[in-house]
Amino acid sequence: MTIARQLDIILAHGPELSAGGLDYYKLGLWAAGQPNSRILSLNPALPPEELERRLRAFLHGDQPHTVLVAALDPHHRARHILRLLTEVMQVNPELISVVDLQEALGSPDPQACSITAHHLIGVNASMITRAQPITTQELPVTSRVLVWGDSFAALKAAVDLADLGYPVIQAYPGPALSPLLPGAAPAQPFGAELQDLIARVQSHSAIQLLPQTHMAEALESAGNFRVRLQTPEGVREEKVGAMILAPELSLEPREAAAGAASHPRILTQSQLEDLLAAPEEAALLIPEADSRLRVAFLGGDSHPLALARTLSSARPLLARDNVQVMLFIRDAKVGAPGMEAALGQAQSSGLIVFKLPQLPTLTLADDRPRLAFFDPVMHEAESLACDLVVRDEVYRPAADNAALAEVLHLFPGPGGFLQGDNVRFLPVITNRRGVYVVGAGRGLMDLDQARAETDAAVNEVQQLLGRGTTIAPKGRSVVDRGRCVLCLTCHRVCPHGAVTWDNRAIINELACQGCGVCASQCPNDAIQIRNFTDDQVVAALETLDPRLTPRIIAFMCKNSAWEAYHAAIKLAPVNLPLGFTPLKMPCAGKIDIDYILKAFTYGADGVLVLACHQDNCKSQEGNLHAQWRVERAREMLADAGVDPRRLVFKTLAANTPQDFLAAVASLAEVLGGLKAA
Amino acid sequence: MNMDNPKKFSAVILGGGIAGISAALELARLGQEVALVEKTPFFGGRAANFCCKATDACQKCGACLVDDRLKALFQESRITLLSHAELTGCSRENGLFHLVVKQQPEVINPEGCVDCGLCYEECPAADKGAILTTAVTQNHPRYAVNPGACLYFLDGSCQVCQQICPPTARAIDLARPAKTLELTAKALVVATGYRPSDPACRPHYGYGRLPHVVAGYELEEMLRNGTGPGGPGAEVPRRIGFIQCVGSRDQEHPYCSQVCCAYTLRLARLLKHRWPEAEVTSFYMDLQETGRQSPQFQAEARREVKMVRALPGDLHATPDGRVKIRFMEEDSGQPAAADFDLLVLSVGIGPGDDNPALAALLQASLTPDGFFQAADPDHRTQTSQPGLFLAGTAEGPRDIAGCISQATAAARQVSQYVKES
Ligand SMILES: Cc1cc2nc3c(=O)[nH]c(=O)nc-3n(C[C@H](O)[C@H](O)[C@H](O)COP(=O)(O)OP(=O)(O)OC[C@H]3O[C@@H](n4cnc5c(N)ncnc54)[C@H](O)[C@@H]3O)c2cc1C
Ligand code: SF4
Ligand code: SF4
Ligand code: SF4
Ligand code: SF4
Repeated sequence: MTIARQLDIILAHGPELSAGGLDYYKLGLWAAGQPNSRILSLNPALPPEELERRLRAFLHGDQPHTVLVAALDPHHRARHILRLLTEVMQVNPELISVVDLQEALGSPDPQACSITAHHLIGVNASMITRAQPITTQELPVTSRVLVWGDSFAALKAAVDLADLGYPVIQAYPGPALSPLLPGAAPAQPFGAELQDLIARVQSHSAIQLLPQTHMAEALESAGNFRVRLQTPEGVREEKVGAMILAPELSLEPREAAAGAASHPRILTQSQLEDLLAAPEEAALLIPEADSRLRVAFLGGDSHPLALARTLSSARPLLARDNVQVMLFIRDAKVGAPGMEAALGQAQSSGLIVFKLPQLPTLTLADDRPRLAFFDPVMHEAESLACDLVVRDEVYRPAADNAALAEVLHLFPGPGGFLQGDNVRFLPVITNRRGVYVVGAGRGLMDLDQARAETDAAVNEVQQLLGRGTTIAPKGRSVVDRGRCVLCLTCHRVCPHGAVTWDNRAIINELACQGCGVCASQCPNDAIQIRNFTDDQVVAALETLDPRLTPRIIAFMCKNSAWEAYHAAIKLAPVNLPLGFTPLKMPCAGKIDIDYILKAFTYGADGVLVLACHQDNCKSQEGNLHAQWRVERAREMLADAGVDPRRLVFKTLAANTPQDFLAAVASLAEVLGGLKAA
Repeated sequence: MNMDNPKKFSAVILGGGIAGISAALELARLGQEVALVEKTPFFGGRAANFCCKATDACQKCGACLVDDRLKALFQESRITLLSHAELTGCSRENGLFHLVVKQQPEVINPEGCVDCGLCYEECPAADKGAILTTAVTQNHPRYAVNPGACLYFLDGSCQVCQQICPPTARAIDLARPAKTLELTAKALVVATGYRPSDPACRPHYGYGRLPHVVAGYELEEMLRNGTGPGGPGAEVPRRIGFIQCVGSRDQEHPYCSQVCCAYTLRLARLLKHRWPEAEVTSFYMDLQETGRQSPQFQAEARREVKMVRALPGDLHATPDGRVKIRFMEEDSGQPAAADFDLLVLSVGIGPGDDNPALAALLQASLTPDGFFQAADPDHRTQTSQPGLFLAGTAEGPRDIAGCISQATAAARQVSQYVKES
């Protein structure tokens, strides 16, 4: 290994390492014999004061220390030591390398055991002794928050933030605040809570209301966005520290057959609700003591909240003796609290439910609506004349969500909603720091869920904006202004919208999430992600011991594959190939094509590029970049006469240790085959 | 810990599943000192054992989030972790909760144990649960002696594990005592989760009687741990069936569990992806749109999986050891039959076993279905008792995503309550 500067190695062990077959005494001797390094053997089970005393004696002097802690399952077993190092000894966390010796213990014989341990320590030592400390910086931020929309969640967010002392701009598309209560009639008077919210939004001195507003442009990033808002008075530019997006849903009636839409006996769900609210008008269409009448609801099966609306207007009709009420649905959407019971109750008070693969066709005959369908239970074609047919309405995301997502550089969400379809964003974050999506912006949900998401987003805003200043990393992702030629590749590829420019590219370290996509794409190598720098990776590759075969370098995303690797070696003793070299990457997007090619130059027999599953990457596209680079690298390898099967791309999740093992085994098999050939 | 000097917390959270973990992490982030009390020796709850359902792309089941949050949990210093511990006493004085927590003896010392599993292998009562183990590797140790079933604790007749544990690890000390801890907390969060409905609750589905009939959670665990179906040495099932709504939407469970449709379709698609030649059928009542599924999801699922709207009436074993199902075909209205090599019962979410006792202890009430009663349908993190909060499936069925957002909200409300009190 090439230890670039003084390294303090702490071998944290009780007798248990020997239990696994690793001779820690010899390991200590070996480590002590390495150039530039000192070694301390420390039993993590010692009392805390004793641990601290020994650590102090070992790490004396004022100069910053670079420390490597090697242990079995260090995050559990050596956690006191790690905590002392960072919290008491003030060692910069970026200058601590934590090595899990578990993999070594999987080896069957003591010889292989210690070789693997040496290899793991060596690789990590060469990287950590080239690491630079990352410090923190306090940055001024704007404490004003932009709340987008006038849904319940938006109103609640505005009031909560204003109460916490954050000035709020609340922008919404309509002329007046008009929230929609999901599951209730749109014209229904607001309940006490919503009325109170509206009153507070309107009267709160810290909330500024901007009706009829659209977002034209959003510049800069978290903490200091500059948004240009198109209002009836013209364009205004505002500085905001964060945004909470919760634009209201809209209701769209089911498409009706031509001619049927305008018939007085064919109503939309909203029209029926209006009718029921006006008894005199209702009496005209549904007279009290007339002969038997038939009312049919079509649909209301898009969501439990749609069904809730249908059932609540069916209820007064069911209470009437002379009305037969039918409900035609594809699926009974009862997947919400209380809905199964509500449907059951309606059925026991007379609601007749038809579940059909296709909703009936609606025609007019004798000035009455008529429904034709195939009854799966009776197994025959049916045609029913009705006195009233009610077409359901579907909740739709706000129409300009797509435009808003584009202005804000958000990855689009499922079905026209705003938050990217990636579980890493749960509950309310997006690919852009400082932009949160809640309630109606995320999906169709009840008030409880919308409230919960608002709470979560308000927490996030508080964490981000604090009291006007915030803490960001300093020196994690840096542009070498001497090398940058302002091609703006970085600006285009950054999944987090963190790159702006003056006469050179600038990375906003508050918005940057350290994924390294930019660094790997920059044609001039002008960006380095500290502690995942090119020379660190090269130094790690240089430690490859030619005696260990087959030499498999695994570049692993720390969010998925790295965890799967750890889960695999802990689950059961596994015998990974002796030359297996695990390299942790901040994101698969940081795996340069150069790294892959260099790995082969430095003698790798095979290379694994292990990323998150598609749509599961914290940076959304890091895994895609990795895949594209692997494809390109394969072609280059083939040109250079290297069998491209030696390079494998695979996606994993943290909880798939079996898939990790399978990936290593299958590459090892390929390599075995190639060697034999 | 000293009995006269109870340890003080802003909040104590009961239950170390995804809901409890999320609440604890968010509270720690908000600067509160919290304790997380988990009944079993291991953290992560039910969902920690579930499998990744990604095909070519992530299917957004959320299972990997449990691993993610667990890792953060073990690195967070503001959270006191009390595993293998249960609440045995609770009283309130001036709003402050005085809690008594009984913690089982820490027979296996985490500092020594190397998770070699020898104790488990050699324990004569392991099959009775004397040594508990988990496949969730974030936990350490992954083994724990269970005094309720261990022969040493029952009658002193066995010390095999203590003797077998490697001399260098010497992690087992059966004589270690149980602990009784006294804690105070300004707020309490109940996140004790659920119990999957009993797959045998509909006896005619033959769970435990017919071959190749497994419960949904068993399939999840088998897939996660690579122990079949189709695992090493096992035959790949060609005809796979799922039956949905087992233990949901019936007389005893008059509610929808809100997760089974989604997990069934995801598992079905996963199996189809693994074995494209397999034929996957799902018997269902109604497909639910829960959570935030993309509109394409169900359409794609319907393309890959044969969806049959019918609850099978009659199941029996065929001479060649398969399961035959008779059902009514929706399109033709005619009786039909099909054989399956693997039949999965998609069980739902039932109330937690401890709910009645815990509710009595906390003077909280339960819903008719047996879940913890929230203040009202629009405030499902709160109860009628100030300072007592709910998170996750303890309050009612919800998926992992729902648990996370509800728990995060509970954390905010707890921290506001704590500041005001
Ligand atoms: C077969 C199946 C498959 C599923 N698949 C998915 C899926 O793919 N995606 C998805 O989003 N959801 C899925 N779900 C739902 C998911 O399991 C739940 O949403 C989630 O696990 C609930 O988390 P929780 O923390 O509320 O409860 P739990 O996971 O049950 O955790 C509760 C914890 O509290 C502990 N505890 C219990 N009683 C006490 C007590 N008295 N004191 C202290 N601690 C106690 C328990 O030991 C447990 O650790 C599935 C459910 C089932 C049944
Ligand atoms: S990609 Fe590199 S060269 Fe191009 S603008 Fe960014 S830092 Fe400059
Ligand atoms: S490291 Fe990632 S987040 Fe940071 S500027 Fe580069 S691409 Fe953007
Ligand atoms: S399928 Fe589930 S476990 Fe797998 S990556 Fe996606 S969310 Fe995570
Ligand atoms: S035998 Fe000892 S070291 Fe091995 S798992 Fe059991 S307690 Fe741990």
